[in-house]
Parts: sequence; C-alpha cells; structure tokens
Amino acid sequence: MGEPADGRPCVGVFARAWAKAVAGTSFLPMPHAQLEVLLQRLTDLLAEALRAEPLDLRVGHRVADELVAAHIVSAEALGRTVEVIQLRLVRDLDLVADDIEDRMARLLGAVATGYARALRDRTLDEQESIRRAAMTARAEAEQALRASEARFRHQATHDPLTDLPNRTLFAERLAAAVDTSAGGGRRVGLCFLDLDRFKRVNDSFGHQIGDRALVAAARRLRRAVEPHLVARLGGDAFVVLVERSTGTGDVVAVAEAALAALSEPVVVDGHDVTVTASVGIVERRVAGTSPDDLMRAAGSTLHWAKSAGGAGWALYDAERDGREQARQELCAAIPAGLERGEFFLDYQPLASLHDGSLLGVEALVRWRHPRLGVLRPDSFIGLAEETGLIVQLGGWVLAEACREAVGWTSTSGQPPYVSVNLAVRQVRRPGLVQEVRALLRRTGLPPNRLQLEITESTMMTTSEEPVRALRALADLGIRIAIDDFGTGYSNLAYLRDLPVTELKVAGEFVRGLRTPEALADERILASLVSLAHALDLTVTAEGVETGGQAERLRAIGCDAGQGWHFGRPASPDHILARIR
Amino acid sequence: MRHLQRPDWAPETIDVERPSVARMYDYYLGGSHNFAVDRATARAMVAAVPQAPLMAQANRAFLRRAVQFLTDAGIRQFLDIGSGIPTVGNVHEIAQRHAPDSRVVYVDVDPVAVAHSREILAGNDRTAVIQEDLRQPERILTHPDVRAMLDFSQPMAVLVVAVLHFVSDDDRPAEVLRTLRTALAPGSYLVLSQASDDGRDEAERAEAEEVYRRTDSPLWVRSRAELTGFFDGFELVEPGVVWVPQWRPETPESAEDAERAVFLGGVGRLGG
Repeated sequence: MGEPADGRPCVGVFARAWAKAVAGTSFLPMPHAQLEVLLQRLTDLLAEALRAEPLDLRVGHRVADELVAAHIVSAEALGRTVEVIQLRLVRDLDLVADDIEDRMARLLGAVATGYARALRDRTLDEQESIRRAAMTARAEAEQALRASEARFRHQATHDPLTDLPNRTLFAERLAAAVDTSAGGGRRVGLCFLDLDRFKRVNDSFGHQIGDRALVAAARRLRRAVEPHLVARLGGDAFVVLVERSTGTGDVVAVAEAALAALSEPVVVDGHDVTVTASVGIVERRVAGTSPDDLMRAAGSTLHWAKSAGGAGWALYDAERDGREQARQELCAAIPAGLERGEFFLDYQPLASLHDGSLLGVEALVRWRHPRLGVLRPDSFIGLAEETGLIVQLGGWVLAEACREAVGWTSTSGQPPYVSVNLAVRQVRRPGLVQEVRALLRRTGLPPNRLQLEITESTMMTTSEEPVRALRALADLGIRIAIDDFGTGYSNLAYLRDLPVTELKVAGEFVRGLRTPEALADERILASLVSLAHALDLTVTAEGVETGGQAERLRAIGCDAGQGWHFGRPASPDHILARIR
Repeated sequence: MRHLQRPDWAPETIDVERPSVARMYDYYLGGSHNFAVDRATARAMVAAVPQAPLMAQANRAFLRRAVQFLTDAGIRQFLDIGSGIPTVGNVHEIAQRHAPDSRVVYVDVDPVAVAHSREILAGNDRTAVIQEDLRQPERILTHPDVRAMLDFSQPMAVLVVAVLHFVSDDDRPAEVLRTLRTALAPGSYLVLSQASDDGRDEAERAEAEEVYRRTDSPLWVRSRAELTGFFDGFELVEPGVVWVPQWRPETPESAEDAERAVFLGGVGRLGG
C-alpha cells in the first residue's frame, strides 16, 4: 500500500469503506458522495486524534455527535463504524505509535459513548417534540370542538334569517326571568310585536324582498330595544323580553322605541317598504305568573292592538281579558249545549201597520245555560260567527224554527211566516240550498212561510256563489229579507240583482221619529219606503217602541213594524195564543 | 369519503391510541417521532414484510433525488401532499439548500403530523402547512395558505409520494390527480410513488394489507400499469415508472435488488 506525502488518498480509501459500511443501515438524507465527504472529514479528525499527544477523547465524542447529527443513527451504523475503524483505520492510514492499540481502544470507547449519548438526547428530543405536537393537535381539535359546539348552540337558539334569538332561546330566558327563586318581588315585561299586514309586502314585492325587509326590521328592532332580548318567534312575529322592569312605563317605553324604529320605511332593492307594527304589552310581578301566562296575555293584548287598527300598542287589561276568556269559554260550550238541548227559540211579532195583524215572527235564539241562566244572543253570537260555530248553531235555529212554525194554524187565514237570521258563513256554505230544501220537505213547512234574513255584508263579496244560492232559495218561494238596511253599505245595486222581498229598516231611523230633529230620519224613511215600493219590496221597520212611532210609520207608508210596541220576543205558546 | 359525512366545519378527534401511518413511516426511517402504538404496528409490519424499513428508506431517497432533479430543472414551488412527519431530508431542506428561494407547502390529513410540521417550520417563511385530504383536491387548491404561498401561473411540482396506496379506487385517485393537473401551469411536474404488487408474493401482500387495516389508512397496492396511468396528461421523464431505487440512482450499486423496495415511482412533466 503506497503512501503519498499528504496521506489524502488513504483517507479517501478508508472513508469510502466506512461509507459503504453504514449505507443502508438507516435512511441517510444526503447523496452518497456527500456522505463520503463527511466521513472523510471525520476520518481526518480520528487520525489526528490518534497521532496527537495527549489523546483527546473529546474528538471521539465530536465524531459521534456529527454522525448522529447527520442522521447516521441506527444501532447497525454504530456497530459497523466501530468495526471498520478497528479493522481498517490504522492499516489504511498507516498510523504508527507504540501504544496505538491502547489509544484506538480508548478512542473507540469515546466514539461509542458519545454516540449513545447523542442518540439518547436525540431520541428524547424527538419524543418530546412529537408529544408536544400531539398535545397541540389535541388542543386545537378541542378548541375546534368547542367552537363547533358553540356554533351548534347558536344555530339551535337563533333564527337563521335574522340571526335574532329564536323561540327556544327566548323560552329559556323567559323561564329564567320568571324563576321566583331569584326573588318573586321582581317584575317582568313582554312586548309581543307583529308587523301589520306583512303578507301584503310578500305578495306585492315577493318573498325575497319580504325576507330582506324582515332582516332590516329585525336589525332595527334589536338596536332600538337594546339591551333587552328580542327574539323572532316565526313569520313576522317578534317578542321583546324586559327583565327587571320597574313598572309598566318601562315596557311601554320599549314598545314605543320599537314602533319608532320600524316607522321609517326600509329601502330594499330600491323599493320603499313601509311596515307598521302592533305591540301587545304585558308587565307584572314575577310572583304568581308563568311563561305560559305571560305569553298568552301578550298574545291577547297583541290581538287587541291589531283589532284597534294596528300601528300602535295595547296594554294588557285583566278585566277585558277575563271577559274575553269567559266569552271564549262560552262559545266553546255551544256544541255541548246544543247536544244537551239547552238552546230554545223565542219569537217576536212582525205586525202589519195597516191592520195590526200578525204577518210573521222573527225567531230569536236563547241559551238556557246551566250555570249562567238564560243568555241572549248578543253574549255568544258574535264569537260564534268568528269561530264558525255559527254554522252549527244557525242550522239548529233554522231547523227548530221550521219545526215549530209548521204547527201554527190560523182560523183567520194565513198563519204567520217565520223569519230566521242567516249568518254570512251559512250563506257562503255550499249545500245551503239542499239543506233548506230537505228541511222544508221534512217539516212540511210551505216555503212562503219561511223568511231568511241576511245582512248587507253578506252580499259584500266578489263570489257569485251566495247570489246563486239566494236566487235558488227565492225560486223555491222563500222570502228573502235584508236585515238592518241602512246601517251598512246600503248598496242599491244588489236590490236590482237579488230576489229580495223585504227590507228591514234599522231601528235607529225609527227611534227619534217624534222628536223635532227627526225630520231627516223621517225623510230618509220616506224615501226608503218609496224606493222599496218602486222595486216591489215591502218595508218592515225595526225597533218600534211607541204607538206614536207606529202612527208616523204608517203615515209614511211603511208596511210592517217590529218592536216592543207590537210585542216582545216570547215563547211559541204566546205566539200560538195570539194567532187564535 | 369519510370526510364528507360530517359538516366540513365539525372537528375531527385526535386519537393517539391509534397507529398513524405518518409516525410509522418515521419509525422505519429511524426517527423517534412516534408512539408505542406506532412502533408496535410497525414491528408487526416488519414481521410480515421484513424489508418495510428498507422500503421507507428507498422511498425517501427517491423523494430526495426527485426534489434534487426538480430543483436542477428550475422548479422553485413545491406542493407536497401527504408529507407526514417532516423529519430529516424533507422537501424544503433539500430544495432550499440548493435554491433558498424555493417555496414549499406541506399537506397532510394527520393533525399530529400537521402540528409537528408547524413546529418544525416555525420561522421558515417560505413554507406553509395545511391540514387537508388528498381526496379533496379542490379544498387544497383553493386553500388561502396554498394560494398565498404558491403562484399557480408558474410551474410547480406536486409531490404525491408514498400516499396513493392509502387512497382506494372508490376515492377515484385518477380523478384527484386530474383535478390537480388542471390547476397547474405548463412546465409543472408530478412526482408519484406507491407500493406495488408487481411480481409480488400474494401472501406477503395480504399480510401487509392486514397490518395496515389496523391504522386509519388501509393499504391499496397497485400495478406498474395503474401507476403509469396516473401520469395521464404528463410526459414521464426518464426512466419512467420504475422501482424507486432505479430512478436516477446515484451509484450503480444503489439500484441493485430494486424490486425489494416494493415502491414504484416516477416523475412526469406537464407539456405545453
């Protein structure tokens, strides 16, 4: 083996052998040539250490550190490194020293020690770093989970359109607000708000604009009533929760702020969308109330605000609410009352103004309520009309009137006809004509002894259906009367189109006939009578209370009268007695 | 795809009790960025397929040579999808050593690997790390960090190295690669490698697949023809799709017994 003066080729030979020995023992992140360059440098270090006096073991440590730093880190790499150095270093580099074996052993010992130490440090560092990464990842995942839970929670408690709290969150907050454990002496208020006729906005601009108007309204509301909670209950209904109210004034102020905020038109897509709102206000002590009570009361109050024309607020009134509730309960009891036979009819005479004879009677429904005694129609008919129960009740009245009237016989000519009120809903109901026809057939009452009274409002419809039904009824021979004529629209057009036989003129024209200022009334009556007669209609005046009034009416030419002067509503027995 | 079954904003859970293929790979490479469960699974793999560490090393060496090749070819942007634990010899180390202006985005689906990458790369403002799934390439391509780091009007290299065998045919790897390709400027490169069953013993393959079923990422080995097909639209650079040690070896010896590396790899260039 030749040895050039600088010894470089020998170093190269050894380094190549070393590189070959460690290649493949683990992943080496460098090209092979680069590995050889590194090992060549380490070979120089080792050779120098072996020659130097005294032997510096730190060189062994340094070589080991560099190996580990270069990712020559496998157990095999150490074994082969020790082997190749032991076997070839002295020989390849032709190193000469008396104690070379001793020095080599100590240097290799230092390399192995340094390698083990460096590898241990590296392993610990890497373990620490991957654990830290796992903790970071887990913390991030947990944070993301919390964020998503918060998001879930937000979605579950907010309205997606307006991002206002929804019914769920509102219910939670309301329940917490009326929780008496926090002191029942506190007060709480609600503003139940509903946009007036908002459906029209949707109808005329489309739902997209409607939705954007809602969003704009929601934003204004929220700002106007801060810091109070405003929730969207759905549709165009919102509610504001006023916690820790000090009195009605607080909540009224909130309602007024809300109304003021909504009063400016919203510009959506170039459209000026004007919305007004109605607010039902409830304010009371927390003790003794419940979320359901509050919401129900607020709902009723909102209804009052709406019925008053909208664009304003109404304050809850326990007395009024009590009355309405009683009325509602009464109304709800109608079907059971019908079932139990609690309803009956009284009849009021319709008398001829020419000879005082009994032309007909008007059937008037009565309710013998088991607890409240005999009730007159004004205490239950209105609500029955609203709820639709009037159809069932009116049907019973019609049938009962026909059933009783058929038994009235007169010794002195034609027995009186029976006049029955028909509600709007009854007239509009398909099947009315068949029902009446079947009723007449079943009872045997001649059609000309039945008169149906309809109000002017019945005819205020665009539908042809009621007109057709009335014409069919008139064709059967049934009399059709317009009730309360002169107080409604008094549209004369239908007098031309409809098969009406009689006008019943409202009592208010009659009431003042004897007084000096009644001149106008008398003239109106006179014109009505002549108009009716020109159209071949008879005229019955309602509310005739005195003989004087009857006298004036006769003089005007009125055909018949109804009122206390001619007889109060009475049982069928009284009517029968009067016929005989 | 399992990631589509939850809302995209709902978080994943971190379970270090399950072996991670990224950390097993680190173990094969001689690293200590792994947990007992990873080492146990990796040792089971070695029992089934004794050359598993060699495969990982050969594959990593292929990555190194490929990045070196790309850097020499003038590429300065790298999108490394499925980067795993970025231990020694990662793309930015290789690329930035030769071309310090090289920019690298690492993408991995493993949240621990991503967190670790972020730690290692803190302070390197020419790298970014995002947690995304190769199977949702649109999400990678539109990710703001990717867009901020890489200029898609300029050539870049997309590396999908030792990842495709974790993508099943049901997840349409060819479509995924096509989506990536259409986002690239002409002159860009695609680097692929994946475990292959070409000339492989059936029993050995079955055993390897069995081991990886314990992880989140079951194994899908493919033939040379299938891997070549993944380069659709690219021109393969010499020597084409080969056992990874045969791809531009540094020394003739290092390419010996190349099929023992199990991985096939190749580099394709987008013409035009």
